[in-house]
Amino acid sequence: MISASVALARRALRVTLRRPQFLAPLLIFPTLLLAVNTGGLSQATSLPGFWEQYGVTAPYPSFFEFQLAAAMSQSLLLGGVATGIAVALELEMGFFDRLVAAPIPRASIVLGRLLAAGAIALVQLSWFVALSLIFGSGIADGIPGLIEVYLIGAIAGIGFAGIGVTLALRAGNASTVQGIFPLVFVVLFLSSAFFPPNLLTSPADVIAKWNPLSYIANGLRAPIIGASGTSNVLEGFAAAIGLALFFGLLATWSLRGRLQSK
Amino acid sequence: MAAIKASGLERTFKGGIKAVRGIDIEVAEGEIYGFLGPNGAGKTTTVRMLVTLLKPTGGTAVVAGFDVAREAAQVRRRIGVALQEAALDPLMTGRELIILQATLQGMSKAEGRERSAELLERVGLINASDRRVGGYSGGMKRRLDLAMALVHSPSVLFLDEPTTGLDPTSRFAIWDEVDRLRREGTTVFLTTQYLEEADQMADRVGIIADGLIVAEGTPEALKAESGAPHIEVVLDQGSSAEAAERSLAPLGEPIPAGEGHDVAIRLSDSSTGVADAVRLLDESGLSVAEIELVRPSLDDVFMEKTGRRLEGAATVADEQ
Amino acid sequence: MEPPGKVAEQVSNERINDRGVVPALARRALNELLRVPGAGVPGILAPTIFMLGLSAVFGNVTALPGFDGLDKYMAFVLPVGLLQGAGFTGAATGVNMARDIEQGWFDRLLLAPVRRPVLLAGIVASAALRTLIPATALICVGLLFGVKFPGFLDLLIVALLVMIVASASACWGAIIALRFRTQQAAPLMQIGSFMAVLFTAAYAPMALLQPWLKAIATVNPVNYVLTGVRQGFIGSVSWADTWPAFVAGAGLLALLATFAIRGMSRTTD
Repeated sequence: MISASVALARRALRVTLRRPQFLAPLLIFPTLLLAVNTGGLSQATSLPGFWEQYGVTAPYPSFFEFQLAAAMSQSLLLGGVATGIAVALELEMGFFDRLVAAPIPRASIVLGRLLAAGAIALVQLSWFVALSLIFGSGIADGIPGLIEVYLIGAIAGIGFAGIGVTLALRAGNASTVQGIFPLVFVVLFLSSAFFPPNLLTSPADVIAKWNPLSYIANGLRAPIIGASGTSNVLEGFAAAIGLALFFGLLATWSLRGRLQSK
Repeated sequence: MAAIKASGLERTFKGGIKAVRGIDIEVAEGEIYGFLGPNGAGKTTTVRMLVTLLKPTGGTAVVAGFDVAREAAQVRRRIGVALQEAALDPLMTGRELIILQATLQGMSKAEGRERSAELLERVGLINASDRRVGGYSGGMKRRLDLAMALVHSPSVLFLDEPTTGLDPTSRFAIWDEVDRLRREGTTVFLTTQYLEEADQMADRVGIIADGLIVAEGTPEALKAESGAPHIEVVLDQGSSAEAAERSLAPLGEPIPAGEGHDVAIRLSDSSTGVADAVRLLDESGLSVAEIELVRPSLDDVFMEKTGRRLEGAATVADEQ
Repeated sequence: MEPPGKVAEQVSNERINDRGVVPALARRALNELLRVPGAGVPGILAPTIFMLGLSAVFGNVTALPGFDGLDKYMAFVLPVGLLQGAGFTGAATGVNMARDIEQGWFDRLLLAPVRRPVLLAGIVASAALRTLIPATALICVGLLFGVKFPGFLDLLIVALLVMIVASASACWGAIIALRFRTQQAAPLMQIGSFMAVLFTAAYAPMALLQPWLKAIATVNPVNYVLTGVRQGFIGSVSWADTWPAFVAGAGLLALLATFAIRGMSRTTD
């Protein structure tokens, strides 16, 4: 099971990395938004209560450092959609049938994809870490903070990929999966990825409390702005692991359902 | 005045790829000119230059009296084009497409409506005229494409592989239409991969290979150039091939028999037929299972000129 | 049946009547909206989600000095949504053109004895008309959420400016489509208009922008268009904000249209 999953993960990674045009939108779009958000609203950090949630003291981090986690979250979510589209295309082209016919555990087909998504998540996160070094002060909590960012991000990336794979297996075609693209932004906007939860307007502030992405974004943010000591990191891990487990299992169950219906 | 005159026409693409290496073509008014060649020979590039979709990189071409490079708009007013892919909008109806084409040709809406009714009737699509083209069959789409090319009664019509992939009924419908156009005096430049189509329809044929015209003339003249017809015989068991060759010696020279045949004789007199061969074999007491008179084909012409078969060429029979 | 060449000869003796071409091509392009169920939904959904999302997330930034006591952030970002909708519509027009090139339909247009600028105008006109649909939807949503009604004069100004931006974006899409000749170039079309709209005073007034963004916004013609579109929603219409918007928009359109026409001429090279 492990070796089959790793082999399939390597195959998925190879296919992805051979097409840089696949990775570019996952990085360019969030980076553009990061630039625009920072360039336009950098003074938002002076709003009363901005840093309340995060337990940071003066000198406060910049709005850019605050927004990095939002950009990471957005990139990882888009990566999940992209994984779903890739799986849906394989379904349409018949390649998926070949995998199913191979003498490998069925669950490894899903697990391989999710592992690949986790690896790609590391690449995505590295991009934003590099940006933090170039345009900001890097990761405030140093190497331990960096590890926290990579772990939470990779696990969240696996979870988001699980959503994409589930959708692909249920819908069976790429255009349906592509159609959820606007929903990515709905989920992002109804979270505290872009702004502190106490400064969101109603009803976004209420919804954000229930949105796992809020906790993932805060978990990514805490080490960057030097707030690892708060509960944000633990909550981030919990949300990421919960998401990965839930959608990983759902994806496996969806695969079984698809095969049984054929 | 020639309807189409190309002199030293050339097209070199980026990277130095010479798709067309200097061709001369002259097509008289009212003539059907068949343009044959394998895939990659330069047929489509030549057509695209003549219809002003590509600028020549060398030589000149005059179509309907106007230079394709310097007077492209004038050329476009006088030509109709049905390209290889019948590019039709699947969301529009046949009638709407013809009216749109009429508008693109500068006709008023009223003229376009009148013309669309006329043309749809002519190509047998009047009953489907208000259906969306997305639901048309391949043959219907090709007929509609032809109708659109005729909307402004062009003096020169370019048809790029008009019957490729069509069923026999649709193919014959297109052939009938081309024949009608000939009677009406329209010049037709027809590219095709079907030897039979070129043979039957074209007044003259040009064969292009590797960017150059390798043969040009009437189909009969080209075939006659490449040699006399031959007879292929399959003998019944017990009849000897050597004996058959001896008995058929008065008709001509033996040549290597093709696969599935016992004897082949190249006729020294083209007027000799199967009946003469059967009589001679009978007189020699030889029994025949099959006998066939094989006339040289355009493929034989191509073989002779280029040393290879017309790759990608087909016959109507092959596809049936 | 006319003898061959007679109709063509009659036509050729006069200047070709291409007056009907623009409406005919625009009508054809609008078929996708009219005949494909749900085709118009993404064009409305995307800018609406963006506008609502930005308002929900950043709504409290109006407390910052520089917003001059503006109470509704949605009034500030609604114009951004309008221009995004226009950009999206223009990009979609470019994608359709790329599809037409791939499928051979574009050759049919090039074979017509119609002046190239007229062909482009027909393609672009559909974008200008289409963009009014998401624009109307967005304004209705804004009004529903309490944005003040800007007045009919401002609505007219908004409509014209949004149409100009959609046309400019369609020209950009055409340039990309003619250069790459494939629908796979769609992201390039989308990102061009996306950047043009967002690298402006989209989220905050010029005074609050970071120096690098302020510098870009100062030279970005879309920023002036944005100001012209925004004026009625956050204040009142003034000539001082209106004329630069039209000059900038028209200038951008003229520049991109020139390159697009050049691209069309080069298809035969």
